[in-house]
Amino acid sequence: MSKVTSLTIALIGCALLAGTAESQTLDARRLGMGGVVTSDVGDFSGSNIAFRAVPKGAGGTGSIPLPLGLIQYLSDHPVYDSKDSLFNIYKIANVFLNPPLTIQLVKPKEVSGDISIFVAQDSLKVDLADVKRVIPENSMKQGEVIHLFGIHRSVGKGFVQIGPLIHLRNELILSDKLRDALRDGRPFTSNTRYGLTDEGRAQAAVAFQVGYAARALYRPPANESSTDPRRNRATALYLGAAPKYLLGLAYGDARGDGGVTTGDTLFSGSNPVTIDMDSQTRNSGIGGSGGLGTGIGSDVGGVLYWNNFEFGLGLNDFGSQIKWKVTRRRHLYDDTTNKFTTTVEATNEEYTSRIPVTTTINVAKRIGRTTIAADVVDGDLRTTMHAGAELWFGMWAVRSGIYRDQNQMAQFAGGGGYRFGKLGLDLAIATNSRNISRERGAELSASLSLY
Amino acid sequence: MRRLIPFLLLLPLVAGCGNRNLILTVDILSFMDPSTRVVNYNVPVLASDTVEVFSDSLNLLQGVSDVTRAVAASLDIAASFDNTSGAATGDFLIYFAAADSANPFTTTPIANIPFQLFPATVTNVSTHIDASPALAEVLTHDKAKVGVRVVFNVTGVPLQGTETLTQLTATVIMKKDL
Repeated sequence: MSKVTSLTIALIGCALLAGTAESQTLDARRLGMGGVVTSDVGDFSGSNIAFRAVPKGAGGTGSIPLPLGLIQYLSDHPVYDSKDSLFNIYKIANVFLNPPLTIQLVKPKEVSGDISIFVAQDSLKVDLADVKRVIPENSMKQGEVIHLFGIHRSVGKGFVQIGPLIHLRNELILSDKLRDALRDGRPFTSNTRYGLTDEGRAQAAVAFQVGYAARALYRPPANESSTDPRRNRATALYLGAAPKYLLGLAYGDARGDGGVTTGDTLFSGSNPVTIDMDSQTRNSGIGGSGGLGTGIGSDVGGVLYWNNFEFGLGLNDFGSQIKWKVTRRRHLYDDTTNKFTTTVEATNEEYTSRIPVTTTINVAKRIGRTTIAADVVDGDLRTTMHAGAELWFGMWAVRSGIYRDQNQMAQFAGGGGYRFGKLGLDLAIATNSRNISRERGAELSASLSLY
Repeated sequence: MRRLIPFLLLLPLVAGCGNRNLILTVDILSFMDPSTRVVNYNVPVLASDTVEVFSDSLNLLQGVSDVTRAVAASLDIAASFDNTSGAATGDFLIYFAAADSANPFTTTPIANIPFQLFPATVTNVSTHIDASPALAEVLTHDKAKVGVRVVFNVTGVPLQGTETLTQLTATVIMKKDL
């Protein structure tokens, strides 16, 4: 496969994951501070709409990522040809879970190794070796609301914006018995059900949004040295709201439950196991049955400044929902006939899907040119926490941070930067577990800051 | 096909796992009727005699060949002779053939284990065979014919006793073939 094709695949992965605050932070300044969000650090994805009304401070107004990782990717990328002996689907999965925009300093150990299976008439034991690391101790959860590149225009304190929105969610749960057999290598036993449940949902819409963010309260300090409420000890409250009309393009969900129940002897007779599978799907979309969906939603937020403290609360996709006319189907496996039957249970059935709200709570304190900050981001199926600090020495900045990622693992970050007038160059080194085996790796990120 | 569904579900895991192997070890003996593992022999004269211990079609690694390619295989075979009287030398022969073959004994034995029996003595024989890739392919088919034969060259009569097949394990190393 050519480098061009490999690069295209990588870029598609990057584009799909762009703007996902909890997945990969390309702003090296923010990453160096543990991924924390404040009104002047790393909020370029719009985690709190009230931040739009806060006057520009010394902290920066934007970030331009430097995707140095693409160079590393071009020299060492996975093989995408399944017939190639080096093909490894787990390496490819890692490209999508961790787009190669940053330089990988410490890569997680590659998932490979031989798998051993022992079969006897009444015994089955599986040693997945390295692949065990892919199977989580609990359920496999993935959830994300992705706001892709949109067009927006500010008009005074208001703004209008059009942008696509994608919501993806999947939760796969292995039964305890199946997980024990696969992850811990325990032998399969007779008269036992090994099952799994999967629940997935995907929906896409275009959001047409009109917003307004303004200062609701301002009590100036005794000696007002600047207009930046972050550092002038003023008491100020900024509020913002942006209702949105959602034009639903496509919706689909599936919930399936399946399993294999062993008999008195694991491998006796022609049908030693009983198989059960039952799943339900709902779908609607442009060009198909049900057509487009329509809905409404909103982004709301507020941020309070007091004595150089910052307290922010942002709710994105608050109350967002889309009404669809779905086709509902049930797929049932009949163990006796060894066949699936699909029944259309309803057509044009009214169904309202929800876009899960993403809540960002942040607190920060500025002491001179030092910023100490922390936040909690609660999104679909995941809650992350970040804390970090930034110290400026002349034109040089030193940063460090810690965060708890979507896999509930503590990660560490540090970095620095140099400011050239209106432009700054930032570098950050941070650990993460964005890989199929959820192991800790480390990356080097670089970006330009706009001041 | 459904017979080995529990581990067929695992094949996708190895299918994407690069240049690695799926190592399947099958205790073929456990799938055999216990009565077929044991045969009594009784040779009253000084002569050669052949006893067929086992000849049958066995379900092996069904479905595996759909997504994998066997690259190596081995067999571990063991038997025990509880010889009550008489003496003999002999050969313990193992045959494997494709399921569509008429008789496994028409093929060349894949293993020939020589033994020597003495009166009122238990003799254990065993061997490990690194099979050819061709045999590995046979082992990954849905079915294969297996035959076990014992040839006695009697040196002391009456030769009487019981032969028991105690181990027949196949190990097949496969790679993905998608």
